[in-house]
Amino acid sequence: MYAMMVWTIYVSLTRWVGMAPSWEFNGLANYATLFRMQRFWNSLKNNALWLIAFIPPTTFLGLALAYVLKLSGRAQAILRPIFLYPLALSFVVTGTLWAWMYDPGSGVINGLLREMGLKALSQPWIASPKQALFCLVGAAIWQYTGFAMSLYVAAIQDIPTEIFEAAKVDGASDGQIFYHIVVPNVGHATMIVIAMLTLFSLKVFDLVWVMTFGGPGTATEILSFFMFVATFRQQFFGLGAAISVVILILAVAVVIPYSAWAMKRSQR
Amino acid sequence: MTKTTRVLLNVVLIILAAAWLLPMYAMVMTSFKSPREVAQHNYLALPKGLEIRNYLTAFQVLKQGLLNNVVVSIPATLLAVFVGSWAGFFLAMLKSRYSQVVFFAASIATFLPYQIVLIPFTKFMATTKLINTRPGLIVAYLILNTPMAALITATFFQVIPPELQEAAALDGCGPVRFYWRILLPVGRLGLLSTAILIFTMIWNEFLIALQFTQGPAAQMATPVLAGLRGNYAELWHIQMAGAMITSIPPIVIFAFLGRYFVAGLTAGTLKG
Repeated sequence: MYAMMVWTIYVSLTRWVGMAPSWEFNGLANYATLFRMQRFWNSLKNNALWLIAFIPPTTFLGLALAYVLKLSGRAQAILRPIFLYPLALSFVVTGTLWAWMYDPGSGVINGLLREMGLKALSQPWIASPKQALFCLVGAAIWQYTGFAMSLYVAAIQDIPTEIFEAAKVDGASDGQIFYHIVVPNVGHATMIVIAMLTLFSLKVFDLVWVMTFGGPGTATEILSFFMFVATFRQQFFGLGAAISVVILILAVAVVIPYSAWAMKRSQR
Repeated sequence: MTKTTRVLLNVVLIILAAAWLLPMYAMVMTSFKSPREVAQHNYLALPKGLEIRNYLTAFQVLKQGLLNNVVVSIPATLLAVFVGSWAGFFLAMLKSRYSQVVFFAASIATFLPYQIVLIPFTKFMATTKLINTRPGLIVAYLILNTPMAALITATFFQVIPPELQEAAALDGCGPVRFYWRILLPVGRLGLLSTAILIFTMIWNEFLIALQFTQGPAAQMATPVLAGLRGNYAELWHIQMAGAMITSIPPIVIFAFLGRYFVAGLTAGTLKG
């Protein structure tokens, strides 16, 4: 794995275009080209938008659900799997399913809005350059909320029950317990959730491929998708490797501090 | 909590649960509908009959891919868990400085996106003539999943008291016998969680499957399903039937072994 990473970095410095590899050294020319491409900045911007639109709702829903399900007592045995099952599906299945949900003409969401007499609210969804990226994020939230929830469930279980009982005796409401006991005690889970969701966001490829293929236009192109198309469809291997290195830098910026933090924690 | 807020909270919870179930419900219903029913756009209505033909059509397209999935996922999972659990064993039991570094390196390798190694990996597969073959896919998934298997099994093995191995060593039990006789039985639930998670990940994987295969012979089910979307555009009942068929193994695993699936998933985050 590590040898291949070094190789990728090397390829990013060569003039390799087309099927036959060229090892001719090209300095930072690929990076210079890349940074001049509007399409690269567009992908980077879409990655940033993805992070902003995806992480806060998924994290919040995960935490809220974990706590509310704990309160709901026995009902959680039925409710928890409802939020977890999407995790077992492949992104290709999720993509196929949600592409249909969002289809402007024959899709489920617009269809249900019509049936409820809310036709005015129907949207072009995935067909609109403005909305498509957020449609993909919606599908990802649907799939990953259960992941955040299960990490929070474990974190809440780790809080000593005496604290909850003491707060109850003191007359704290469930809302107060949430703000003053649960939220301050699940900080480490929040770290894990945010790190994992960020890494997932850098990997997203399948959903884009299946649902929009980067379109309409380049509205849903993100780095991982742009890298694949530039490298293996358009044969700009040197340039593609340069995009990989950008992804690598972004991922490493999250992974190294995160792994160091997690290992330090597990030593205690 | 006052009565009103409790009722309000329950209403919100029910709406959310319904929203989470709706896509699955619509998918199942539509997969059994005839083209005429689909054209009526009554998404919530039950199908009038069971249109098994949708499944037959989708299965015809997917069957080679599904077979390849089985032939690739099972050996790749077993090998990755076997190799990974040896690594995990040494990482968890030998608490040296060196093993810390390896653990750190494995965790980083686990979390990075595949795109970072895709170019050299493709070259490697082409040079070794492994590209577009099922053994090639097994090798690829083995390489990519072993670090994760090591990481997760190490997390599970860490709860086994080190005294157990010290005692076994005193009785003349070497690491190989210790692995087979003590670690496997004691750590079997951890290994099961690891295997379930890795199997599901390989079964559902798309990028590697897409990149390393072409044409039906070695292609896995996910790229075939993605292709089905193009060939049966707007024929949602066929697409949904295909999506259903492809999801059966992971859904069955989730239904019966969901607890281990989630345990593996959370252990894979280094949550400590």
